[in-house]
Formats: sequence, structure tokens, C-alpha cells
Amino acid sequence: MAMTDWTIIRRSMSSRLFSTVTTVITVAIAVGLMLTLLSMRDSGRRAFERGSGNMHLLITADSSPLVSVLNGIFYANAPARPITPSKFNQLTNSFPAEYAIPTQLGDQYMGLPVLATTPEFFTKFSPNPDFKPGSAELGWSLAEGRIFEAPFEVVVGARAARESNVNVGDELALTHGMGEEAHIHRDFLYTVVGILEPTGASHDRSLFTDLTSSWIIHAHDRRKADNPDAGKPTEADLTDADKLITGILVRLPTRGDSNISSLLPTVGAQLRADPSITVAQPSEEIQSLFRIVGNIDQILIAMAAIVMLASAISIMLALYNSMEQRRRQIAVLRVLGCSRPRVFGLVVTESAIIGIIGGIAGYTVAFIGTRIVASVLKEKLGLVVEPVFDPQITFVVLVASIALAALAGLIPAAAAYRTSVARNLRPTD
Amino acid sequence: MSDQTPALELRDLKFRYPGAAPNAPWIVDVRSLALKPGEQALLTGASGRGKSTLLQIVAGLIDPDQGIVRVHGQDIHAFSGAKRDLYRGSKIGMIFQNFNLLRGFSAKENVLASLMFSDVPRKEHDARALELLKIVGIPMPERDVADFSIGQMQRVAVARAVATSPALVLADEPTASLDPENAGAAMDLIQSTCQKVGAALLCTSHDPSMADRFTRRESLDQLVTA
Repeated sequence: MAMTDWTIIRRSMSSRLFSTVTTVITVAIAVGLMLTLLSMRDSGRRAFERGSGNMHLLITADSSPLVSVLNGIFYANAPARPITPSKFNQLTNSFPAEYAIPTQLGDQYMGLPVLATTPEFFTKFSPNPDFKPGSAELGWSLAEGRIFEAPFEVVVGARAARESNVNVGDELALTHGMGEEAHIHRDFLYTVVGILEPTGASHDRSLFTDLTSSWIIHAHDRRKADNPDAGKPTEADLTDADKLITGILVRLPTRGDSNISSLLPTVGAQLRADPSITVAQPSEEIQSLFRIVGNIDQILIAMAAIVMLASAISIMLALYNSMEQRRRQIAVLRVLGCSRPRVFGLVVTESAIIGIIGGIAGYTVAFIGTRIVASVLKEKLGLVVEPVFDPQITFVVLVASIALAALAGLIPAAAAYRTSVARNLRPTD
Repeated sequence: MSDQTPALELRDLKFRYPGAAPNAPWIVDVRSLALKPGEQALLTGASGRGKSTLLQIVAGLIDPDQGIVRVHGQDIHAFSGAKRDLYRGSKIGMIFQNFNLLRGFSAKENVLASLMFSDVPRKEHDARALELLKIVGIPMPERDVADFSIGQMQRVAVARAVATSPALVLADEPTASLDPENAGAAMDLIQSTCQKVGAALLCTSHDPSMADRFTRRESLDQLVTA
């Protein structure tokens, strides 16, 4: 087989194997870091968007829209202020809605939030932000059992089931509140009737039950506080003062396949005029949250870019230092008929190849690294992040790494170009 | 070019290193020298007299201050850049005292490296390299040249020098690193191989024992311009 430029480049790289491998590793780390940061940034945003799913508005009595979203979707804390049934009715009668699902947060089980709601939560609300209107596939599916149908039945999110080690048929007592004030509702046991498959959203670490049973146990608490001998209330005993909720998930009517409602600006403005409630548009709140943390993103990405630049400098130094050893080889190639531009091209190509190998290795590092990070996030924080590499961004990063590597080869290539043949052919000893 | 085109013609060639004083003596000063196709000549001269420099001027690696160098009828210095490199790769073979083989490459690759910059069709490279290595007595052409003995390295260098069927082979003190016995064998090989491929040979040496091997001997001191 005839000899090619590639043979010369390959031999040059293998003759300096340690240097070649370390520069490739440097490029791989730089590219891997950059791709991981970019991927995790987008995947992280999607993970947060996943929680709000297909709802347009979240109505609470919290202090701010961002707090509403953090409490109502990500179950950060139990909301401090409730919404009364009359307010719920007044609000939901004031605009057309595909759904207006009441929710109540306040109880927990082994530190896991319990959301009391209606079955519509599973039949109309979709945790999937890419939900297709009209699709029967909302994103909920059961690993086992069924959705709650009667009071004191509970459905457990995938991660919550794993963490609390509960199974269908188990009975459990919920805890009211957090910290020292928390107390267990020992008089009322819930039966686990279903375990959900993972949704990739914050709901995976929650338990779900119906509103009526939640109202009953809290009514019982209040009545026992007044009269320790009070009996257990029934649904019929509940008054409006008992039927409190902490949030309303709202989806407005949409047209065709669109997830966007033309009513959103009007209804939003109308609701925001009511000072007793807080109206959050979850997608906007999540975006504003990311705008706040966006600066950190940019700093990290700038640092990754500096690491990429440093890797290019390391290629340049490695190749430049190797020139001392390669001058004789270059002189011999020149004697054999290799032109100066071809010598220049050989060095730049070698540099670019280090960039290509480093880029591919970096992509592999990022691919594996993001999955490890995602697994840690899921395990430690319950945040389901699905790392996705945007093909365009990946392409740009890889091309940039190759271009930087090729640029880094220019100075050593110029040194090779200028190599004096006569001087370097002389005997060395 | 016709078959009778001289392999080498030098005329009024003068060279001194850049930066030298204008009245400094010429490092190379050759009035006239010509080699017929296939002719072999020994160029002698004291150490530092400019023998190696003359060969580098002939190879087109250094430009002379004055004069003409024609290799196979072509003024090599009339070419610039890549064209001169290509011409050198195709028409001139070089053998060095220290062989200047490509380290980390096999014997075959060293010969192929010479062919890759020539106008020899690529499909012929492999067969030609193996044939030449067989002629010079290299039994393991795929072996790294770093593992070869001095004598074997010299053989590979000879095979590489004649790989492109050059019109002219320039041998710069080719036996200076060899003991007398190996030096004789190496010169036998160089001369016979050049003869086989029809290449003219211009060999420099300050070893007096080399003189008997060449019917034509030229001393740099006698070639100077008037």
C-alpha cells in the first residue's frame, strides 16, 4: 500500500504517544465539559417545565407567582393561605376553562408531600409539557393498581413509592404539617390503591388522595381541638369552612393542536385584578427563575470556553515542543520532495486530528457524564433530567474544537515550514 | 529529454553563506562540472571545503549566489517552491553519512516516502519498494529501521535514494560512519545499484581509499573558477 500523508501524521502522533494522549484528553475534557453544561442547562429547564405540564395558570393565595409555582408544582412548602369554596366557585365561573382542578397541600407522609385533589388531576391535567391537545395520552400511567375513587384511598408517585417502600394494599397515616408542629392523623388510615409510573416531573415524589378525605381529617382536627371527645366527621358534616383548597390548576380552551390559548392574556389580566389571589403562569415563572440562574450558566459556559482555549494552547505547546525532535524528519521529507506548504499542512492536519479525536472523546465523556449527573440528580433530588444534545449545538461545539485545534497548529506548522533543511541534515554526532 | 541529456551540469557556480563579508572567499566555487547519464564521479576536498554545501545546491536546497545547476537538463533553481521540491523528489536521490532515515517508520515506508513525493504512479509504489529492498538485501521490509544494524540502515538509504529512478544520486560522505570493511560493501552497493537503475552518481568523500573505486575523480580545488 502506498504511503500517504495520513501515514506520516499517524506515525508522528504515535511516536509521541504520551503527549498525544494527554492533549487529546485535555480537548476531550474541554469539549465534554462544554457539551455537558449546555445539555444539562437545556435538560434542566425541560425538567422544570415538565412539572407544570399542560396547565396555563396556577391560582393560589401565596405571596407571589414564583412562590405559587414552587409550592403548587414543585411542592417546596405547604401554602400558608387557603382559598375558600365560594372563592373557587366565583373564580371558576368567571372564565371558560378546559379544566380548573382544585388542589390542597399541607400533609406529608415520611417527608413526602401529599396532594389532595380530584380525579380530574389524572384525567385532564398532563405533566407532559409536549402534551398534544385532544390526545388521550396525558402522561400518567400506573405501574400497579388504580387511581383513587373513594375517600381515604391514596395513589403514590413512583419515587415516593420507592422512598417510602409502600405497596398497593398498604395502609398509612398521613402527617399534618412539618417540624415540631407536625402531628400524625392516627384516626384515619389511607389505603394505597395505586403506584404511578415515573413521569419525570416533580409529581413523582408526591402522594395523591381525594379532597374529601383531606377535608374530613382536618375538620376532625379542628373539632377535637374544641372538644377532645368529638367523633369523626363524615362528608355530610363538612361545612364551607372545612372545604378549603390551596391551589387551582387551570387550562383555558385552545384551538386545534395548539397548546396556547388566545384567552390567556384576558383571563390572566382579569384574575390578576383580584388582590385576594395570586395568579401564576408557570411557564413564565420557570423562565424567570432560569433568567435569575442564567448568569451562573453563562459563567460556567465561559469557564468551559476558557478550558477549550487552554486545551488549544496545550496542543500548540505539545506540537511546538515536538518540533525540536521533528526537524530532522521534516528536513528528510523536504529532501525527498515534500514541499513547504505540504509540511505546513501535515502539522495543521495533525493538530486538527487531535481536535477531532478529542472532540469525539469529549462527546462520549459528555454522553456518559450527563447520564451520571442525571442519575445523581434523580437519586438525590428527585429531579428527572433527560440529557439531550441539541444536534446543532453539538455540531458547533465539535467544529469549534476542531477549528481551535487547527488554529493551535498554525504556529508549530509555521516553525515546520521554516525548518532549514541544510542545517537539520547534518550529522548530530 | 533525450537519453544523452547530461545528468548534471554545473557552470560558474559560486556560493557564500548569507551575512558573509562581500570579499570573503566563496564556500563553493565551481567553474564547470558535468556528469553523463549513469556516470559515476568522486568529488574530493578537504573537510569544510564545501562538498556538502555543493551537493545541497545541486539538490536545490540552497540557492547559489551565481551560476547554473542543471539536473537532467533542467535548471533546478529556475523552479520555485513546490515545483522544485517535486523535481528534486523525482530526479535526485540523496544518501547521507548518517543515512537520515525516517525513525519510527519501517524500511519499506522509508522507500515509499521517497515515492510518495514523486511522479511514479501510486499503484507501482509497493511493488517497487519491495523489489528495491530485496535488491539491496533487506529481508524484513516491514521492520522499523531503528531495529536495523548500521549496514542495514545504509542499504535502506540506498534503496530510498534510487526508488524514483532518479537521473542523479548525490552521496554525501556515505561511508564516513562505517568501518573500512562495511564502507567497501556499502560503496559496492551504492555504485552497483546506481548502475542498475541508470542513475549518475556524484559521491563526496575525504577517504583516500575511495579513489580507486571511481574512474572519474574531481577535486574541488581543481574545479575553481579562474
